[in-house]
Amino acid sequence: MTGRWRISPDEERWLAVAAELDSAALRADLTERAGGWRSTGPLARIALFILGLVAAALVLGISGFRSEITLLVAGLVAALAAEWLVVTKRLFASGVEEGLCVAGYLLVAAWITTLIANPSGSGAGLISSLVLIAAAGAAGLRLLNPLVTTCAVIAFVYWVGSTAAADALEQAIGGGMTSFIVGCSLALLSLVLGAREYRRPAHDRMLDWLVVTLPVAAYAQSTSWRVYAELDYAGASASRLVTVAMLLALGTAMLIIGLRRRRHAPLLGFMGCVACLAIELRGVTALATETWLIICGLVALVAGVVLDRYLREPRNGLTSAALSSREGPLDLLQTVGAAVLAQRTASELPQSDAPVSGGGGKFGGGGASGSY
Amino acid sequence: MHTLEPELRALHADGMIDDATAARALARDRGKVFSLHLELRVSMYAGVLLLMAGVGMILARNLDRIGPLVILLAIALAAVACAVPAIRARLADRPRTVVADYLLLLAALLASAGLAYAERQFAMLGPLWSWHLLLLAVLHAAIAYAFSSPLVLAVSLTSLAGWFGVGGAVSDLMPFSYSTPALGSRALACAAVIAAWRHRDRRARPGTTFSEVFDHFAANLAFWGALAWCLEWPWLAAGLPLLAVLAFLSVRHALTTGREAFLVYGVVYATIGICSVIAPRLYGMTMTFGFVLVVVCVAATTLWQLRRRLREARP
Repeated sequence: MTGRWRISPDEERWLAVAAELDSAALRADLTERAGGWRSTGPLARIALFILGLVAAALVLGISGFRSEITLLVAGLVAALAAEWLVVTKRLFASGVEEGLCVAGYLLVAAWITTLIANPSGSGAGLISSLVLIAAAGAAGLRLLNPLVTTCAVIAFVYWVGSTAAADALEQAIGGGMTSFIVGCSLALLSLVLGAREYRRPAHDRMLDWLVVTLPVAAYAQSTSWRVYAELDYAGASASRLVTVAMLLALGTAMLIIGLRRRRHAPLLGFMGCVACLAIELRGVTALATETWLIICGLVALVAGVVLDRYLREPRNGLTSAALSSREGPLDLLQTVGAAVLAQRTASELPQSDAPVSGGGGKFGGGGASGSY
Repeated sequence: MHTLEPELRALHADGMIDDATAARALARDRGKVFSLHLELRVSMYAGVLLLMAGVGMILARNLDRIGPLVILLAIALAAVACAVPAIRARLADRPRTVVADYLLLLAALLASAGLAYAERQFAMLGPLWSWHLLLLAVLHAAIAYAFSSPLVLAVSLTSLAGWFGVGGAVSDLMPFSYSTPALGSRALACAAVIAAWRHRDRRARPGTTFSEVFDHFAANLAFWGALAWCLEWPWLAAGLPLLAVLAFLSVRHALTTGREAFLVYGVVYATIGICSVIAPRLYGMTMTFGFVLVVVCVAATTLWQLRRRLREARP
């Protein structure tokens, strides 16, 4: 079956096979089986996505900022350009059409909010936010982009926490808890739905992204609320207990399911839950921050060492060795990560007025930023 | 969940993939073989990050209470302990695991922190304090070569860039805010040193695994330097042609080696350079936005086409 306006599930599956095997001998055949749909690599996709977003913003700039209608004009131009790229050039997950589509939908949604916004109405801001979230969700579903759908769902979780109903509920259950409970519930739902078999790999990826990000995003929202409300908040210990219990339950479920299904997303979601738990438990201990950081760091390192030793020889198909020697964006990320660590790892050097011959030593290289 | 088993079987039945490839792909697809390498990397990186943050805070807050010698001794001991797995792997002549790699990185970072702390406490280099960055670069390079560790090499190159006065901070990624030709010159000088080092490394060790790390550092520093030059007249006269040459070399390197990142560097940095040179010299917002839009569209098309060529050229 061939998709005219959108890639069909069969074609998408062949593209996934092409990405998995990535062999020159198969390329022509797989391109044919994928119905001529074309994709790109991860780094080029990110760059093209940003270029698409910038292009849409520039269209808005050219339209001018004189009236609200320019939002609609720029949005339609960007969205139509994205559709043109999809339909005629048969681009899928290529970045540029995704950037244009997301920006276009958001601009049109922004124009709609100018129609419905009533400065005197108390709920206008909430409805406007919901319209923008719906637009982002629609763009993500149109192009099957997991990043965009995930952002829309996270924004929806935050939106739920900002409603009047949530405010009323939080008088009883604790501040920031509505978003947290909704986020964890949606993460759990995504985990459960992930058991189904999907024809489209993109649907699977969307659920995976939700499983990984929702617990952390929901927890971040509830934590930031608690930081502001710390002084006059009476039920902090009860809500902390609920938070710990939910993170524990969700984390355990993710670990078990991840190992059973042999999927990375639940395991990464589990790691996110553990990180949130560590932050949460920090509040109930009297340890200094640096001691807590060192303990958590040691736990992470020891866990890594134990896991590596245990799985050095594959056990029941599980291994700690890399299955592919192919270089990917993770290798670049690792180099960048090491450089970032090198800059942060330092003590403060005395400020010197003396002329510096090397070039100034503005930051810490391996040593000297002083920003902890 | 999804499985690509029917497609893989179809390819195998059509004779498009051999038995070994099919068996491997099917085993991975069904989860019969599953690697926790990614999770291990995340865990180790988080561990190193947290530990170094904690050590940094201790150094900053408890200087007087603990005493400098005790701190230095503790850091040195911790660094040596972290290097033990890498030393053992080297002595046994077996490849290092990802865990040993990250522990070695932690050892190098602890050594950095110790040296910087000692310099701060005892002012050993006096007014030449910034030379300790060069010292660190040399020390890390020695560790990187001793253990063939690209991760530690990245730390060494970061220290070297720091000594040249080219930070890797976010503000440095956006040189428009404070950029000066002097910053550009330092970045270009650093890039030249790294390129020369890479060349020497390849000649001395044909099987080196460091080239990619050198390439990323040299490319980014050179582009930052060229961009910084592009922002001020008369440096612009040299900066723009230099940017063009660098973009060409970067793209050519990408097509030769199959590394997508260099395509992105070449196209994106060239786009930023062209826009930052020409856009401020245009009159009117419509004209400026229109020009930038054209450049962005051309950049997107070029990147897309080059990415296709790169894919076709790859074996």
